[in-house]
Amino acid sequence: MTEYADMRTVYGDTLIKVGEENPNVVVVGADTTDSLKTKPFGKKFPGRFFNIGIAEGNLITIAAGLANEGKIPFASTYAAFLPGRCVDQIRNSIAYPSRDGRKGLNVKMVVSHGGLSVGADGGSHQQIEDIAITRSIPNVSVMVPSDTVSVEKLVRLMVQQYGPFYMRMARSKTPIIHPQTQEFKTGRGIVLREGSDCTIAACGITVQMALDAADLLRQEGISCRVIDMFSIKPIDSELLEKAARETGGIVTCEEHNIMAGFGSAVSEVVSGMYPVPIRRIGVRDQFGESARDSEVPMLLEKHGITSIHISNAVKDIRSGKQ
Amino acid sequence: MSANALKNHEIPFAPCRSHHSNFWTDMGLNYYHILKRVRQARKLVIKGTTAAGSGHPGGSFSMAEIMGCMYSKFLRCDPKNPLWDGRDRLVLSKGHASPGLFSNLAVAGFFDRSEMESLRKLGSRLQGHPDFKCPGVEFCGGSLGLGLSFSIGLALAAKMDGKNHHIYTVIGDGESDEGQVWEAAMAGSKFRLDNLTVFLDRNFIQQDDYTERVMPLDEELLGDDISEMWKNAARWRVGDKWRAFGWNVLEIDGHRIEQISKVVNSVLQTKGTPSIIIARTIKGKSVEHMEDNPKWHGVAPSPTISPIIELEIDCQFLIAPSIIAGDMSNLENEVKRASHGRSDFIHLDVMDGQFVPNRTFDHEKIRQLRPITTIPFDTHLMINEPVKHVRDYIEAGSDIITVHAEVCDESSFGEIRDILRSNETSLGLAINPETEIPTWAEKFIPDLDQLIIMSVVPGKSGQKYIESTHEKTQRISKFLQERNFQGLIEADGGVDLSNVESCFLDGARVFVGGSAIIGQKDVRLVISEFRKRLMHARRKLLITKAHSLGGADLVTKWIDLHEVGKKKSELVQIAKESGFL
Repeated sequence: MTEYADMRTVYGDTLIKVGEENPNVVVVGADTTDSLKTKPFGKKFPGRFFNIGIAEGNLITIAAGLANEGKIPFASTYAAFLPGRCVDQIRNSIAYPSRDGRKGLNVKMVVSHGGLSVGADGGSHQQIEDIAITRSIPNVSVMVPSDTVSVEKLVRLMVQQYGPFYMRMARSKTPIIHPQTQEFKTGRGIVLREGSDCTIAACGITVQMALDAADLLRQEGISCRVIDMFSIKPIDSELLEKAARETGGIVTCEEHNIMAGFGSAVSEVVSGMYPVPIRRIGVRDQFGESARDSEVPMLLEKHGITSIHISNAVKDIRSGKQ
Repeated sequence: MSANALKNHEIPFAPCRSHHSNFWTDMGLNYYHILKRVRQARKLVIKGTTAAGSGHPGGSFSMAEIMGCMYSKFLRCDPKNPLWDGRDRLVLSKGHASPGLFSNLAVAGFFDRSEMESLRKLGSRLQGHPDFKCPGVEFCGGSLGLGLSFSIGLALAAKMDGKNHHIYTVIGDGESDEGQVWEAAMAGSKFRLDNLTVFLDRNFIQQDDYTERVMPLDEELLGDDISEMWKNAARWRVGDKWRAFGWNVLEIDGHRIEQISKVVNSVLQTKGTPSIIIARTIKGKSVEHMEDNPKWHGVAPSPTISPIIELEIDCQFLIAPSIIAGDMSNLENEVKRASHGRSDFIHLDVMDGQFVPNRTFDHEKIRQLRPITTIPFDTHLMINEPVKHVRDYIEAGSDIITVHAEVCDESSFGEIRDILRSNETSLGLAINPETEIPTWAEKFIPDLDQLIIMSVVPGKSGQKYIESTHEKTQRISKFLQERNFQGLIEADGGVDLSNVESCFLDGARVFVGGSAIIGQKDVRLVISEFRKRLMHARRKLLITKAHSLGGADLVTKWIDLHEVGKKKSELVQIAKESGFL
C-alpha cells in the first residue's frame, strides 16, 4: 500500500529543524501561516516570525530586506498569490538586486496549493502559470517537489544554497516516492525507473502518474524511463539529452499550463541538444474549475492529465517513430 | 569631537562616531558645509543627466537638501567600506531620482565625481535606476512602492540583531499611489519600528501632471491655479493619513537645511513608532524653468543650456535680517518677525563697545533667543579678541560665526577656524570698508564659509551704503574665485531694495537687511520684495550668460523653457531691456 503524507506538515516541521540549526532562518507569512503550517515555527521562535497580513507584495519585499541583512527568509502563502500577486516584487526586490558576485537576494519562496489539484477553491485559485512566471525571471531557481521526502530535502538544500528559490507544493497529501536516503541537488533530475523505449519526465504530483503510466506500458512491452525533474530551473540538460539520445522520445507532464511551463523547459533543452519528438501533457491553455477532493482526479482527467493520457502520448511518439 | 575627527574633517562621517544617546543633539548645524555639498550635488545631477541625454532632474532637485543633509551630516557610513555593517541605511524608493542619489554618493566620496558622466551609459555602475552595482546604493529602486517594504525588512533585521543603526527611506508623493506603500505603513506601525524614518518628498508633481490631478493625496485640485494648493498648508491632508496609520508625523519645508536637521534629531529620539517627515518641496528646485513644471520630471537638459543652469545653481541667494535695527528692548519679537518673514538667516550683530563704540548684546542674549526659531543664527562678532569668545557664541547656539579681520592674525584666525570646525559651526571673516583681505588671510580662503564685506562703518544701524563698496565687492569676488573660495559673500550695511540688485551683480549672495527689513512694518512683505529684486538680478545675469554663450538664439531658447506662470514674459522684458532681443 502506498504511503501518503502532507507536504505542508513536513515543510513546517523541517523549518523548525533548520531553524534550530541556523539562527538566520526566519519565516514570513501572509495570513496563511496556519494553513502553511509555519505557525509552530512562530511559537518556537517568536522573534524570527513575521505575519505580514494579506499583502503578498509587502511580504516579498520585506523578505528581501531581511535577506539583505543576512537572514534566510522563507516566505510562504498560496501559489495563487505568490507569485500570482507579486511578480514585480519578486523580480525587482528579490531577483534583480545582486552584489558581491551573488545573484539575487537569499529569499526562499515556498508556496502551497499549486496547480489544478487545489480543487474546491475553483479556477481563480488554481495557479497554473507560476512555473512559467518564475522560471522566466533571471536568478530564480524553481523547484517542484513530488513528495514529502523531496520537500524536506529541498528545504535543507535551500538553507545551504544561496539565492532566490521558488518551491511549489501541492495542497493534498502525496504518495511517498523517494527513499529517505535520496540525494537532491539543484539542476539534477532523479531517474526513478530505467527504460529504453521512451522517457517520461514529470514534476510534482504528476511523478506518480508517470510511474503508473510506465507500469501500464510495461504490460504492453514498452520500456519507459521515468525522471523526477523536481528542479525545473536550473534544469538537468545533461540527463535530458541522454534520455533523448537513448530513448528517442520524451513525454512531459505537469499540472500547469503547457505554455511556458515545465514541458516547454524540457523542449527548449532537447530541441537544441538532441531533437526528438516531445509530447507535453498539461493544462491546455484554459482555466480550471471547482472540484471536491474526491472529484480532483476527474478534474485532472477533464484536462487530460492522467496516467492513461501519458501512456497514450508515449504510444503516439512510438507510432510516429515507426 | 576628538582631535582625530578634526584631522579627518574632509570625511565628516567617520564610522568611528560614538553612539551616545545625546550625540546627535550635540552636533552643530554645519550649515555651509551642507549648503556647499547640496550645490555641488545639484551640479553633478546636471552634469550626469546632460551627458546621458536622459534622466530625472526634477525629482533629484526636490530632494536635494534632504539628501545633502543626510549624506553630509546624519548618515553614519564609510565611503571606503560601503557595506560596513554598522552603517545607517538610506533607501531611495523613488528610484527614478537616482542622479540625486549618485551625485551625493560622489560628493561623499564613494566614487570619483567624474563618474557621474557615465550615468545611464553601457557598462556604467550608475544605472538609470539605483543598483547594487554602484557602491553606497542600499536598494535597487525604481519600480515604485517597494522601498518602504524593503526598509521594513532592514529595520526588522536590525531589531532582531540588536543593532542600533537607523534606516531612512525616501519615498515620492506620486509613488504614494502604490498600494504597497500603505501595506508597508501598516507593517511599520505593527512592528513598532522606531529605527525607521521615512521622508515623503512632497513635490506635488508626478510624471503625467500635478499629483492632485492624477490621484489626490491631499484633496482633488479643481481649476487651473496649480500653485494655490501647495501654498496653503491648511489644505495638506497627507499627514492625517499617516497619523491614522499610527506613525509619528512631522511636517517641514524640505528645502530648509535647519528644519531637516532639527526634525531628524527629533525622530532619532522617538521611541515606539516609526516616523515620517513630510517634506514640502519644489520639483526642480533651484532651476527656475524646471521648478513646478511637470515636464521636467524625466527630461535631461540640453548641452547648450547646462552651463546656464550651473550658473543658476551657483547663484542662490539668502536674506539675513539684522535684528538690531528693531526694538532693542524686545529682540525676541524681532527674531519672531524675521522668522515669520521667512528669512534665511537671523543676523546677530554683537558689539562690545571696544572694537566699535556701541554695545549691543552678548552670547547670553543669543542663548535666550535661540529657542525661538530654527533659522540659522548668523552671528557677526564686532568685538576685540574674538578668539577668546567664540566658544561662548558656539555654545549659545550660533550656526555661523563671523569675526573681523582687523582684530585677527594668522594664528588667532587659524585657531578660530579649528574651534568652529570641530563644533560644526560655519566660519566667516568680515572686513571693514577701509580694509582689504589681509595677506595672512589668503591661505584661509578655501576654508571660509562666508566673507562679510561691510558697506558701512560698523557700529550702528541705519547708515547709508558706501558706493565704492560695489567696485570693491566686484574686485574681491573675482579675487576669491581665483583662490578656490567655496563660500558666499555677504553684503552688510545699508543694503536696501534700491541697491540689492547691484549688490547681487557685484557678487554678493547673502544680504543683511537692517532698517530696510527689520525697520519696516511688514517684514514678510519686504523680504519677499527683496527676493523679487534678487530674482530679477539673477535673471539678468543668466540672460547675459546665455547671450555670451550663444547670442540671441540661446537667449530665446533658454527663455522659452520657462513655461510656468508669467516667467517667460518677464524674462523677455529683461532681455529686451538688456538689449539682447
